[in-house]
Amino acid sequence: MSDPGERLVNLALFLAKTPRFVSAEELRAERLGYPDDQDDAAFLRMFERDKEALRAAGIAIEVDEYESYRIDRAGTFATAVTLSAEETATVRTAVAALATDEAFPFAEDLTIALAKLGQGAPAPVAVATALADEDPRAQGSSAAVAAEGIAARKLLTFDYTNARGESRLHEVAPYGIFFREGRWYLAGLDTSIGEIRVYALKRAERVRMNPLQPKTPDFERPDWFAVADYSLHPFQYGAEPFEAVVRFSAEDAWRAPRLAGGTGEIEVQPDGTALWRVQAADARGLAAWCVEHGPGVVPLEPQAVVDTFRMGLQEVLARHER
Amino acid sequence: MSARKNTAMHTRRMLALLPYLKQGSTLKLSDLAASVGATVAEVAADLTALSYCGVPPFTPDEMIDLAIDDDTVTVYVAPPALDRPVRLAPREARALVAALEAAGYAADDPLVGKLLSAASAELDPAELAATLRAGDASAPVAGIYALLAEAIESGTKVRIGYFSAGSGVHSERVICPYALANERGAWYVNAHCESAGEVRTFRLDRIRDAENTGEHFERPAAVSASITPGGEGLPLAVLRLSPVARHTEERDWPGAAFNMKENGAVFAEVPYSSATWVARRVAAGLGTIDAIETEEVRAAVREVAQGALGQLGCPES
Repeated sequence: MSDPGERLVNLALFLAKTPRFVSAEELRAERLGYPDDQDDAAFLRMFERDKEALRAAGIAIEVDEYESYRIDRAGTFATAVTLSAEETATVRTAVAALATDEAFPFAEDLTIALAKLGQGAPAPVAVATALADEDPRAQGSSAAVAAEGIAARKLLTFDYTNARGESRLHEVAPYGIFFREGRWYLAGLDTSIGEIRVYALKRAERVRMNPLQPKTPDFERPDWFAVADYSLHPFQYGAEPFEAVVRFSAEDAWRAPRLAGGTGEIEVQPDGTALWRVQAADARGLAAWCVEHGPGVVPLEPQAVVDTFRMGLQEVLARHER
Repeated sequence: MSARKNTAMHTRRMLALLPYLKQGSTLKLSDLAASVGATVAEVAADLTALSYCGVPPFTPDEMIDLAIDDDTVTVYVAPPALDRPVRLAPREARALVAALEAAGYAADDPLVGKLLSAASAELDPAELAATLRAGDASAPVAGIYALLAEAIESGTKVRIGYFSAGSGVHSERVICPYALANERGAWYVNAHCESAGEVRTFRLDRIRDAENTGEHFERPAAVSASITPGGEGLPLAVLRLSPVARHTEERDWPGAAFNMKENGAVFAEVPYSSATWVARRVAAGLGTIDAIETEEVRAAVREVAQGALGQLGCPES
């Protein structure tokens, strides 16, 4: 038999059809597709790989005390899912579109997931996604390798060019990845400096995972790590953090949670305005953010941000006189 | 794609196809291909390989029997087992959660929980939440997305409350939604706006609320999911970006040409349909970006800056 897929399907069908535990030798004797001239060691290696492949496909294989195998039916078969019309439309549009987006690092797994859910048919509406506008394929590919490194807890190495144009090789224990405004980022422990850093994957080249001892983790991720803590607003990057308050007008108060993105705390005032208390680290960046997301969004505290906002806008007026 | 990876996907597709092969059914190859995210040629190869599969003693009634004829496949003997969907493997569940996050659904959204509880037993949601954030956190628009997706499918009009970043104005509109698009993580809907009398693009995180009116509309035959406006015929703003300015990358100014430099400053020619949108970004430069042309944009910059100072309670100049 030349097609390994046929052997794996035969193995899966046989295990699913057979309610009792079956030994590896019995499976070999059933002529499911293992080469006749294979020695015992080669067969066992191939059989191990096949079990891994079936498990990776979602088929749960039980092992008894005699090293015999059968399918765990409860763990293997999905239960029916009932979705509302809106939920179905969501899955059929957004999710299906992402399966063909080069910047989405899990596209292949997503297509199989949709097929299993019976939601992979084309959506009858136009929908398009372009998550990244800069090297989408490269970003998606790097993010996919990073995600594998995170799951397997294996070190990554890559060449990285920082914003100043300086390039060097980095070795990183990958803790998490996040997507923000068209770019994928990696947060992880840089082994050369012993600190957690965030890397824009568009600046990384040749991202690769340590191939040695693939089943043995290279590191343990700290329990306290949460990737959301590293997905920050631009004004939250800086050496000296401070607490800021931003006011949304009553008409714009509903925009506060949209723009806050889960950071800080929002308090709606009796007059309908909303105050957003948020950690910042860049006074000028926060002042600029308020202008960009206005009207109706102004800084209230600290005074340094208010002054930057006011003086910056006065400078703008001076530079744009009639 | 490497040969090993091709083989793995071929196998995963073959297993995913099994529940679709009901005895006596005739299926279109294009539908099956779409269902498993493959080309018609790939799915034909998958089906051909499946026709050699079965269980011992591999007699005709214990093997999958199917025939491919042009663009269809007819199933004479269904798979002897695995005739209903298997659970998602952890990496497939991860992909689904990531995709839903990208659509604006938080990892703890009921839809995510419903899909995972039925389809995947092994995924650790806490582990995934700690290590992966695939959605843009600034756009929690899942409910609005779902309503629009369903309205597009059913062809029904939607009433929206909208904040226009271009004009800074809040308004109520009735739209006929045609298509959804995601660019750089932000979702947009292309729709005919009854107030404007033309097709407009609305960013979902600027939709305050949305309500299906129940009134039906006819969708045009040709619907575009593109949100990038053509630059032809639009006026050009000329900007000078100082070396310390933010927003100096081409992606920050769609359609712009960066072709002049002087003393470290970059000059950009930006096509615009909304002078206020350009002006707001210029003003956000807080003195590091100058609008050289047009006078319309310069006037808009003054208006934005004066308005912001007024909201701060400051003298305007």
